Amino acid sequence: MNLEPTEEQLALRDSVRRFLADKAPIAGHVRPLLEDPTGTTDDVWHGLAELGATGLLVPAEHGGAEMSMAEAGVVLEELGRALYPGPWQSTAVISARLLARLADGGDGSEAAKLLRRIAEGSVIATVAAHNGTVTANGEGGDSADAVLFGDVASVPDAAAAGVLLVPAAEGDRSVLFALESPSPGVGIAPQHPADGTRKRGAVVLQGAPACRLGTLSPGAQGALVDDVLVASAADALGAAQAVLELAVDYAKVRVQFGAPIGSFQAVQHLCVDMLETVELARSGVVHALWAADAADPEERHLAAVRLKAFAGRLAAVGDTAIQVLGGIGFTWEHDAHLYLKRLLSWSALLGSPDHYLQELGSRLVQSVQTAPSRT
Amino acid sequence: MVDFSLPAGTERFRAELRAWLATSLTDDVLAAARRGPADPDAFETIRTWNRELADAGWAAISWPRAYGGRGATVLEQLVYIEETVRARAPMPLNVIGLNNIAPALMQYGNEEQKRALLPRMMRADDIWCQGMSEPEAGSDLASLRTRAVRDGDHFVVTGQKTWTSLGHRADWCQLYVRSDPEAPKHRGISCLVVDMHLPGIDARPLPTLTGETHFAEVFFDDVRVPADALLGPLHGGWQVATTTLSHERANAARLYAELQVRLEEVTADLLRAEEDGASVANDPVTLHRLGELAVRAAFLEGLCKRSISAGLHGGDPFASASLAKTVWGELGQDIAALAYDALGPDAAGGRWADARLAARSLTIAGGTTQINKNITAQRVLGLPRR
Repeated sequence: MNLEPTEEQLALRDSVRRFLADKAPIAGHVRPLLEDPTGTTDDVWHGLAELGATGLLVPAEHGGAEMSMAEAGVVLEELGRALYPGPWQSTAVISARLLARLADGGDGSEAAKLLRRIAEGSVIATVAAHNGTVTANGEGGDSADAVLFGDVASVPDAAAAGVLLVPAAEGDRSVLFALESPSPGVGIAPQHPADGTRKRGAVVLQGAPACRLGTLSPGAQGALVDDVLVASAADALGAAQAVLELAVDYAKVRVQFGAPIGSFQAVQHLCVDMLETVELARSGVVHALWAADAADPEERHLAAVRLKAFAGRLAAVGDTAIQVLGGIGFTWEHDAHLYLKRLLSWSALLGSPDHYLQELGSRLVQSVQTAPSRT
Repeated sequence: MVDFSLPAGTERFRAELRAWLATSLTDDVLAAARRGPADPDAFETIRTWNRELADAGWAAISWPRAYGGRGATVLEQLVYIEETVRARAPMPLNVIGLNNIAPALMQYGNEEQKRALLPRMMRADDIWCQGMSEPEAGSDLASLRTRAVRDGDHFVVTGQKTWTSLGHRADWCQLYVRSDPEAPKHRGISCLVVDMHLPGIDARPLPTLTGETHFAEVFFDDVRVPADALLGPLHGGWQVATTTLSHERANAARLYAELQVRLEEVTADLLRAEEDGASVANDPVTLHRLGELAVRAAFLEGLCKRSISAGLHGGDPFASASLAKTVWGELGQDIAALAYDALGPDAAGGRWADARLAARSLTIAGGTTQINKNITAQRVLGLPRR
């Protein structure tokens, strides 16, 4: 048992943090892109590719660094901390891991080619999987080509993506297709949710030509959901840590009644409450990142569900930070609201925390019901 | 690499212990664990159990083999806590002695003290208490006033301790006294190993709000303690107290293990309880609350393991350990509150009503949550003192 970050992880954290501060600062990059549907620029995306960040999780045989989710978590935490608005998570984590599960077979497949392009940084990809129904009409069987019909209500980074990965029902199985975007039959309507730092769009497919990548097993579909939950939680953890630090730093220098407000116990306790929540979440994230690669599917899923169930409490760190900051934290100019919005969008992703809390309660009841009696 | 798994040897240790507990923990002992050491019959049953543990080499696994322990690794200690808690074994009567007093005796005591005291502590032949808190020294422990004045080859001790666990049953006390009233408060404290049968000691049971008697108030009235009872340097008692606290690096495991077991017990009772023909456990509000408690219990486990891991691998365990204590107190209270709310005052022979009340101590004992937050704010976040 060793839960300390490695030297390599600390070095990765530092290099990503430096890159973002330099190339994608909040004032010079994030805020100008708040209304932009893609949230990225060629400059920043190619910079991430040069860092080796886009191929972080891509298997070595497909040109990547073949690191683990623990390292992806380090990057995600930095992206959340920097309010990074671009499609790294969708491309380098969610798409890459989904494709790697399909590309196990060999190097010549379409999935393998896409992985190589992700590692090079020559494509932005996203998975359009949840909140929608898509069906495939085509030759069926072994044919690589099909056309897709259907819609997916809310797809992360839909406008930025050059390739959409779409699971579609084909008979009673689920098949993963890739389609180029933009292309005829692919409609994308950018959405403008409160959180301008995470981009989403509605996808409508009306006979969109697609390439068949392979069959998605139920196991792969489950792992996809867990990847989304764990990656988003790691991102949110970084955002929560950053807004905690903003509030604590301010409490040390803001003087009222002749003393820094951080010397008042009432303010200190609010700060420790935030720290407690952040460190609890960090404990869950560290475990879930490890479980994403090392644990059996049951433990992996439970670890991921816990993170989502805790999302409401984590979002409260943004609320408390604004309370500590006082009036300045309520302005548009201060970054606190951007963090709160990012935390709230994690809280709302794939359903409310209440739903997941109830699920965890049911799981506890089931586990006690089936355990041998000890009382 | 971040790795939550335990080494194979540690898992073999777990299997060996689990097998031993499965055959050795009898229904009598389990019943005594449920009643607790405040019940006189249960007290003696637990004492007998402690002797069985000692004879089998399972009483003080962190101690060196020379003193009857196993020289267990930190991860073996973690597993030991998990397994004994999950098996519902009673807490050792001398839990404070084994974990906190013994390391001080080993580090500062002379050979005669170690030989005379440690084996009897391990077997619960002698009961040990720790004289720390006083009426005017609660969270502010270093302001303690019980004084010891040197008189020839004795210290003369006068004062009052309170919240002394098992003080009224104890044979020995690790006593913290003010030996230099002129020095700054942390530097005028000494540690004495005191025979509780000496004349002038009066230990009075201190019933708590549930009516149970776990604690005592201990009065010292010109008690003549032999000078060789001094443990550690004269006026160096604060150092003795803090060094012993750092010995039990796996103890954080108790925080999550106990609450996870408690949560399972509440859930089991909820499953048995019926309202309008349906199990109380299926109520959506109850499920929501259970889920909320379960996620915090799981993350508390992570926090505790992070503090243990930091101690093992060169990190700083302070932040995670102090936060874990705060989370533990609040979570323990919330678990008890759910049990009471959902099961009512009469369920399980009033057990959950008692638990609901007893849980108040979780945010008080060992330093209040509020003082702990002050310390965390200043030491971890670097916020200024007033």
